[in-house]
Amino acid sequence: MTPADDLGAPPGQLRVLHVEDNALDAELVAQALRKGGFSASVVVVQTEAEFARELSSNCPDVVLADYNLPQWKGMEALEVLQRQGLDIPLILVSGALGDVTAVECIKRGATDYVLKDGLARLPEAVRRALQEKHLLHLRRLAEGNLARKVEELARSNADLEQFAYVASHDLQEPLRMVAAYTQLLAERYQGRLDEDADKFIGYACEGASRMQALILDLLAFSRVGRCGAVCGRVDCDAAVEEVLLSLGPAMQASGAVVTHAALPVVWADRSQMTQVFQNLIGNAIKFHGKEPPAISVQAEKADEQWMFSVSDNGIGIAPEYAENIFVVFQRLHTRTEYPGNGIGLAVCKKIIEHCGGKIWVDAQVGHGSTFKFTLPAAAPAEEGCARL
Amino acid sequence: MKQVSIILLVDDNPADVDLARVALQETLHRVQVESVGDGEAALSFLNRTGIHAEKLRPDLVILDLNLPKKDGRTVLAELKANADLHTIPIVVFSTSRSAPDIGRSYELGANCYVSKPGNLKDYLAAVQAIEQFWFGSASLPTKGQLN
Amino acid sequence: MNVGELDILLVEDNQDDMDLALHALRRGNLANNIFVVRDGEEALDFLFCRGAYAHRSFALPPKLVLLDLKLPKVDGMVVLKQTKSDTRTKTIPIVIMTSSKEERDLAESYKLGVNSYIQKPVDFDQFRDTVKSVGLYWLVTNQAPVTDGSKQLAGATHDSR
Repeated sequence: MTPADDLGAPPGQLRVLHVEDNALDAELVAQALRKGGFSASVVVVQTEAEFARELSSNCPDVVLADYNLPQWKGMEALEVLQRQGLDIPLILVSGALGDVTAVECIKRGATDYVLKDGLARLPEAVRRALQEKHLLHLRRLAEGNLARKVEELARSNADLEQFAYVASHDLQEPLRMVAAYTQLLAERYQGRLDEDADKFIGYACEGASRMQALILDLLAFSRVGRCGAVCGRVDCDAAVEEVLLSLGPAMQASGAVVTHAALPVVWADRSQMTQVFQNLIGNAIKFHGKEPPAISVQAEKADEQWMFSVSDNGIGIAPEYAENIFVVFQRLHTRTEYPGNGIGLAVCKKIIEHCGGKIWVDAQVGHGSTFKFTLPAAAPAEEGCARL
Repeated sequence: MKQVSIILLVDDNPADVDLARVALQETLHRVQVESVGDGEAALSFLNRTGIHAEKLRPDLVILDLNLPKKDGRTVLAELKANADLHTIPIVVFSTSRSAPDIGRSYELGANCYVSKPGNLKDYLAAVQAIEQFWFGSASLPTKGQLN
Repeated sequence: MNVGELDILLVEDNQDDMDLALHALRRGNLANNIFVVRDGEEALDFLFCRGAYAHRSFALPPKLVLLDLKLPKVDGMVVLKQTKSDTRTKTIPIVIMTSSKEERDLAESYKLGVNSYIQKPVDFDQFRDTVKSVGLYWLVTNQAPVTDGSKQLAGATHDSR
């Protein structure tokens, strides 16, 4: 029913509904349209009843209306269209109206107005009206598509995170059973069966315990996006101090020394920022070389961002793996060399990117590593810790 | 005649029930452990109906929340609304650590709430702590009481 | 006074028992914040955030109330009854610690919804041990209802590598 396929100049018939009581004027309008290159079929009506009937039986592409009719007003036709929610452009074709009235009509929704003694303009006005309508239609389509796509994406992300959460959450139960009972077996039957049995039970216990750690890590990873960040002012000095407290035993065991310059206050989620520092500093302590770990945490401002760096004197990272290490479960060493699940850096990356920052590493094998990440400096208007 | 203390374990996971039994074997007090695997059976046991008509009234109920048939919250609510049974102490013992689950349990009248630990050692210790408190330190309502 | 998170409200009028209880709880490192009131009326004012305690909030109840029965002004049983019959306060864990050996008190307390009932041992050492085990059970083993004031998730958080 809509002339959606029409462009400025409709290829087929232009269906016109003309509200006019003067036959001569009607004829002149029809002529003007023909001269303007339209192949128009024009229906002329005078009263509201006729108008309504024509509207319902033969939906026009455009409505032309005289402003002043004996029984009716042209603007009332506009009201009928608006009431019915019809998107048909209405062009007033009238005697002199005066600018104020004309503007008033346009404001109320008339698409254009053409003077009866300036009908040469009419085809142009009709073309423009139809084109505008078409563009509006296209834009609405595009917006609709975009909205749908955004919704789909959000839903798919939510699904994924929901899945990760449910999977890891539901896996905990049966895993708990396996872990508990393999441990019970170990306690009760160690040395009482044979050497093989002890070994097998040992492997089972170890596997179960690793799985438990993995599931908890996965849960933490899935939680980053799912729970939504609660952004606020985060004192990074305080966050690092908290982390150093919890890493106390590890620091003592390795003889690690961690220094930090005055760190800024940023706009972020406090527990997530603490997690980032925990993972980076924890890694720096873990992957140390022959010397005790010396770690420094610093920050400098560049443009509207803070750039943090965590540098260490540890074993370093080969440049070809610099991107790989941020992939979840990617590890560069065997479990006997260094413990861990390979999820810490993936979590950091997810958190930082959610806050609108970037994270990367500058490193060389045997020469320590410097992990750097950026964070927006000020509280952003709407974004920052965007939840997807 | 000293009556044996009875604990009713309400848990649908036989592995958890067995673990609890292991924990309770090592305690100082003589405790008889009964168990049921779903909410309906729990209510039937406590109301002494059907196949549980001959059962004795337990001194303590250790109740999991996620149960088939009737879930733990329903059992808790029904027991605490029952004039005859509501004085039996109920320990909610669940893997859930969520604040809503904990809060709701207290609202429904649970005497206390203990989270099931994830590892063996702590699990056994938790069950033993429950037993030790309720049968060692606390005084339980005597069974002769009606309402 | 202490408007923050309160571990224990101790309602006790006997000075010796109070000292012993405080000593046992603090020694065992079980409770950092213990507040003492010495009669039933004060206990009610405290729990219902009125009178001298009007500044207190229902959102920050004590994690545990240790309640003696024989109290001046308002009896412990009345305190129990009123606390357990008001939705704002009924989820507060209340443990009665009394020297009473009356069956009636035991039965009535459980009927009114006490969380648990302890008979104070006469022996000095046993009393101390009992208080310690009560503290241990209700503040460590047990999960108190989490209120608006304490927004942490009950239980430890796991830090990943």
